[in-house]
Amino acid sequence: MSPGNDPSRLDNPWRFIAIAFVSATVVVAFGLGFLLLPRYQGRHAPSSEKDSVYRALGFHKHGYASTTIQPPLRVPTHIAWTETTIRQATNGDPKRGEVIAQDCTACHGEKGLSAQSWIPSLAGLDRLVFYKQLEDFRSGTRLSSPMSAIAQSLTAGQYADLAAYFASLPGLPEDRGERSPRPHSSYRNRDPMQRLIYAGDPKRGIAACASCHGPGGYRIGAPALTKQNELYIDQQLHAFAQGTRANDMNMPMRAIAAMLSESEMRALAQAYANEKTQQP
Amino acid sequence: MALVPVAAGRSSVLYTFYPPLVGSPWYYLGVALVIIGSYFWIALMLVNFRAWKRENLGKPVPLAMFAITACALLWGWTALGATSEVVFQILPVTLGWRHTIDAGLARTLFSVTLHAIVYFWLIPAYIAYYTLMPQAAGGRLYSDTMGRVTFVLFLVFSIPVGLHHLFMDPEHGAGFKFVQSVLTFMVALPTLLTVFTITASLEIAGRVRGGKGLFGWIRALPWDEPMVLAVGLSLLLLGPGGFGGLINMSFAMNAMIHNTSWVTAHFHLIFGGAVVIVYFAIAYELWPRLTGRPLASKRLACIQLWVWFWGILITTIPWHIAGLMGEPRRYAIFDYSDPVVAKMAPLVILSVIGGLVVLSSVLLFFYVLIRMSFAPVAESMPPIRYALSVNPPATVPPLLNGFAFWNVILLALVLIAYGYPIGQFFFLHNQNAPAYSLTREITK
Repeated sequence: MSPGNDPSRLDNPWRFIAIAFVSATVVVAFGLGFLLLPRYQGRHAPSSEKDSVYRALGFHKHGYASTTIQPPLRVPTHIAWTETTIRQATNGDPKRGEVIAQDCTACHGEKGLSAQSWIPSLAGLDRLVFYKQLEDFRSGTRLSSPMSAIAQSLTAGQYADLAAYFASLPGLPEDRGERSPRPHSSYRNRDPMQRLIYAGDPKRGIAACASCHGPGGYRIGAPALTKQNELYIDQQLHAFAQGTRANDMNMPMRAIAAMLSESEMRALAQAYANEKTQQP
Repeated sequence: MALVPVAAGRSSVLYTFYPPLVGSPWYYLGVALVIIGSYFWIALMLVNFRAWKRENLGKPVPLAMFAITACALLWGWTALGATSEVVFQILPVTLGWRHTIDAGLARTLFSVTLHAIVYFWLIPAYIAYYTLMPQAAGGRLYSDTMGRVTFVLFLVFSIPVGLHHLFMDPEHGAGFKFVQSVLTFMVALPTLLTVFTITASLEIAGRVRGGKGLFGWIRALPWDEPMVLAVGLSLLLLGPGGFGGLINMSFAMNAMIHNTSWVTAHFHLIFGGAVVIVYFAIAYELWPRLTGRPLASKRLACIQLWVWFWGILITTIPWHIAGLMGEPRRYAIFDYSDPVVAKMAPLVILSVIGGLVVLSSVLLFFYVLIRMSFAPVAESMPPIRYALSVNPPATVPPLLNGFAFWNVILLALVLIAYGYPIGQFFFLHNQNAPAYSLTREITK
């Protein structure tokens, strides 16, 4: 072509071909994905075009099993960690909490440190953990006759106030919001309890306790266990294993505790109760 | 800024981009800065591209420049996904302003970046295929137009395809997954075009050098030239890597290998095998020009490339097989005393040996570069010459000389393929999950 000619002439008819090619690809892809393929999904094939488009968009109709007999629903907890719940649980006033907390001292001790080994210490307990347990006691998803009665006499706002107060007390360690991995806490540790705490047991599918309960790990709603009372931990592990305590969301504790032996539960409780804040 | 938290164990690749798990805010701030910095680069590329066209009215933009600008544009488009994820979702959580995160939306936004970023790495290798290799082999590029079409196709088709990373994710319906699966197959086109064009260019060079017969030209090629050897080996590895990719992107076959170590093996094979090996050859071309000291031993450079080639094969083939046997990815510890896992152990050991071979090749690479740096300065160093094509273009259609039209097509495709999958999160509610950091309490 000679210079001086308009080079955009060269685009004809390629501009059109490019658009046609891309459009055809898209049309074929949508036709296959939205209309044709859903028709060939075996037993669950949708009955109409409208249904198949719904299916392709990700809306599913549930209820194939509506005629079969279902066991009654059992809800582990009514708490869900939504933005609203978290804000409510963490916005308490420790001053107000301190006043209410005077009623707790008889069992949970002066300043939240319980002297009886089967009653948990509350000083330094995570606010969300505290809030969730009170709410579970109120709704009956966790059972304890004194605690259920107490929780029913308080409001959600008061749970948050108490949570703020107890969280501010020195007691259960490492609640500065920062939990760093520890040295010497590997799978190769020779102490079987330390191994269970820090590395878990892959053979039984048991995750490391520390990955949720610390030290060196954190999960929303899971209490730090270091320095918690020994008998209390032991009893809770038994309760989870037997299903008498069942307020763990997604049942990690029921699943894990059921796989632990009697002696492991005791040894774990001992290990956590005597755990030093910082290991060498 | 991003590397300090990584080195300190506060942000690991195992979770930094898998919300609701999050890492240290410093990591994300660092990453955000890197992306912002890269936008300056994109702007520079576009300004230069315009300036060149203004000064050379009517002349075709050189292929290398055309391709690298396509690469910059691609990055500009695709980085939007991860950038919005980091800025609007992750940073507010890691800084403590929010406690929950919509993991589905985050994964979708990340998928916008996740796949195209691969082509962002691949394109420089392809540029070397098209513009450096034919020259080094002593021939010419088979077709300049084919090169332009290839890079345009990469730009258009590598972004609206990211959902194929989420085939097993519940937040999207089967329809859009399938649509993006089809679009992903379109990305195979530029690679097939490239394999054809580059093989043809190699054949031209081989025949110019006196190769005869159906395959005689292959022997006649200068395989002692690092660039030619690297491209040859890269094409070989692109084969299994590419076909593995076709399996990953197939809507149905993906289910067999999803989240297994097949996937990690695949991207090591493609990136290490097909891309990085060409980067080595590019380094052997550029380093002498930067330092003014010639490459002392091409033989040692070629040995390094061969060691790398075998290392990558030994690493990735057993790794693929372990994936087919069901070995999951993103696991820190495997219990090899378990009878199911025990069968994978020999493959993993083989793969580790391959990794050591790869490592030795890297050491050799640095040895070659360092030795070069101590060599005497050459009196004159020929500048880099980009390969001419058999029929150097006097004029090219404006379509293949600029990107305006393709940007519009790409925008339309992205809206079609991602409009609903991203838009749905704004009318579906209660999708948020509590975010958590493995090392820090988010609620504090």
